[in-house]
Amino acid sequence: MYLAISSDMVIHVPKIPLFEYYVEKLGAEPGFFGDWEVPMRFTGSIDEHMAVRTSVGLFDVSHMGRVLLKGPDVVTLAQYIYTKDMSKVKPGFMSGPTLALNEWARVKDDEMLYKVSDEEWLLVPNALVREKMISYIRSVISSRNYKVEVEDLTHKYSMLALQGPRAVEVMESLGAKWAGDLKPLEFRLNEEVAGVKVFLVSRSGWTGEDGFEIWGEHGELRRLIDLFIARGVKPAGLIARDTLRIEMGFVLGDHEYGEDPSKFPCALALRYGMGAITWSKKGFVGEEALRACRREGLRWVRVGLKMGKEAGRLFPRTGSRVFVEDIDVGWVTSGCYSPVLNRGIAMAYIDTRYAVLGEEVLVDVHGRRLSAKIVDFPFIEK
Amino acid sequence: MSDVLVKVKGKEYIVKTDRRYTQTDEWAKLEGGVVIVGITDYAQKELKDIVAVELPQIGRVLKKGEEVGMIDSVKATSPYYAPLSGKVVEVNKDLEASPELLNKDPYGKGWIIKIEPVDPREYESLLTPEAYAEKIQKGVH
Repeated sequence: MYLAISSDMVIHVPKIPLFEYYVEKLGAEPGFFGDWEVPMRFTGSIDEHMAVRTSVGLFDVSHMGRVLLKGPDVVTLAQYIYTKDMSKVKPGFMSGPTLALNEWARVKDDEMLYKVSDEEWLLVPNALVREKMISYIRSVISSRNYKVEVEDLTHKYSMLALQGPRAVEVMESLGAKWAGDLKPLEFRLNEEVAGVKVFLVSRSGWTGEDGFEIWGEHGELRRLIDLFIARGVKPAGLIARDTLRIEMGFVLGDHEYGEDPSKFPCALALRYGMGAITWSKKGFVGEEALRACRREGLRWVRVGLKMGKEAGRLFPRTGSRVFVEDIDVGWVTSGCYSPVLNRGIAMAYIDTRYAVLGEEVLVDVHGRRLSAKIVDFPFIEK
Repeated sequence: MSDVLVKVKGKEYIVKTDRRYTQTDEWAKLEGGVVIVGITDYAQKELKDIVAVELPQIGRVLKKGEEVGMIDSVKATSPYYAPLSGKVVEVNKDLEASPELLNKDPYGKGWIIKIEPVDPREYESLLTPEAYAEKIQKGVH
C-alpha cells in the first residue's frame, strides 16, 4: 500500500548506492535488510545460489560498513575490542573474522579487519550494527585515551562480492592477472581492473566459495558490474547470500548471536571457529565472562540440523523448537532450503546434554514435529 | 475466451477467464460438481522459488477462508486459504516431488486440491476474472 504523504514531508529511505541500477536495469526485486533497501533477488534465488556454487555470481554488499581506523594505537585498540590476537596480522592481509564481545561474553558483532600498515587498518562491521559499533569504538578510544581516528567510509565506496569457482578466471579475463595470485585473505589497494579504478580488492567472501570482495567509487563499480555481466557473471540477491551462508554454517547477527544474555548463549557456544578467539591473549572486553563460560562448560551449543527425507524440502524457521522425544531441548536460529542438498537445513542451539552428532531430533515445522539429524558444519562438502 | 494479461510496473500476470478468484490470490474452477483450487500466477510470481507445499488430508472439511496449509519458498512461508467451504476429495500428489509446478504451471499442473463444495452458490460469490485483474492492478506497488 502507498502511504499518503504531503509533499513537504520527506521520508528517508536509505538505499545502497547502486540500488536503482539493479532494480531498473537488472530487474532486481527490492527488499529491506537492516536500514537498507537492497536487491533481494534477480532471476531466482535457487538459480543464483547454484551459480555461485558452480560458476560465478555477484553480490552488492554495500549495506555492510566500511571504516578506516588510523593512528599509533590501532593495534592496542583492536587487541582490547576483539577476541583474536591482532598483533599477528601481516600488512596486506585481513585478520580473518573475529568477535567483539560485551561484558557478558555475548557477541556485539563478528567483523573482519584489514591491516594496511601498523597504524592504518580498515574494518567491516555488519550492516545492522554499523553505527552502534562506530560509536562504541569511538567511546573506547576516548575513555582509554587511544590515539586513533575513525572515519566512516561506508557512503564513499560501494562494495561488491564476486563469488564462485570461476571468479579468478573472470578477473583474469579483465586483465587483473594479479588477482589469482592473491592468497586467501590477502588484499591490494588502488588497483585497476579493465580500466576501472578500484580502492580495494581482497581474496575473500562469505559464501564458502573462492572469490573477491571489491571496494570502489560507485560509478567505477557500476562499470565493473557491466563488464562482469558481459562475462557471464550472474547477479545475485541477498536471499541467495543467506542460503549460501547457512549451507556453510556461517553465523548472522540477531540470528545466531546477539548482545542480550537472555536470548543468546555466550560466544563460545557459537563454535565460531576460524581462529576467531585467541585464548592466549589477555585483556579484551568480555574476556572474564568468556573464560568463566569456558571453565563452567556450556549449557547450549550451536549445531546443524539436516531435515529427514520425509520432510521433503520443508525447513524450520527462526524460533522453531527442537525436541528429543517429548523434551524441549533447544531452538532454531536460521533455516532454509539447501539447493545443493535439496533438503531443509537449519542451525540451532541445543542443550549440550542432547547435542550428539548423528542423533535424531524432532523439530517443529508449521506445527508438525519432523525428524532431523544433528550434523556438524558446513552442511555441504567443501 | 482469451486470458487477461495484467501489466503492472513492467511485470505481467495472467488471469484466466474460465475460473473465479479470492482476495488472497487463490483460484477456484468448477468442474463436474467439484472445485479445483490453486494459487494464481500473481501469487506464484510473488512467492517465487517455491520449494514445498503442505497438502491437507483427503476428507478434511474446510470452511471458506480457512487456512489449508503453507507454501514455502526458499526463505519465506505463506499460507493458502480455502476459497469455499467443502470437503477435500483429492490432493495433487505430484506437488510433493515437484513443488516447482506451482511456479511453472499455476493454473494447470500446479493445482493443489479438489473440494466438494457444501454450497455451490459460494462459487458465484468469488471474484470474477475482471474483479481479480482489478485487484492486482491496485495491489501491486
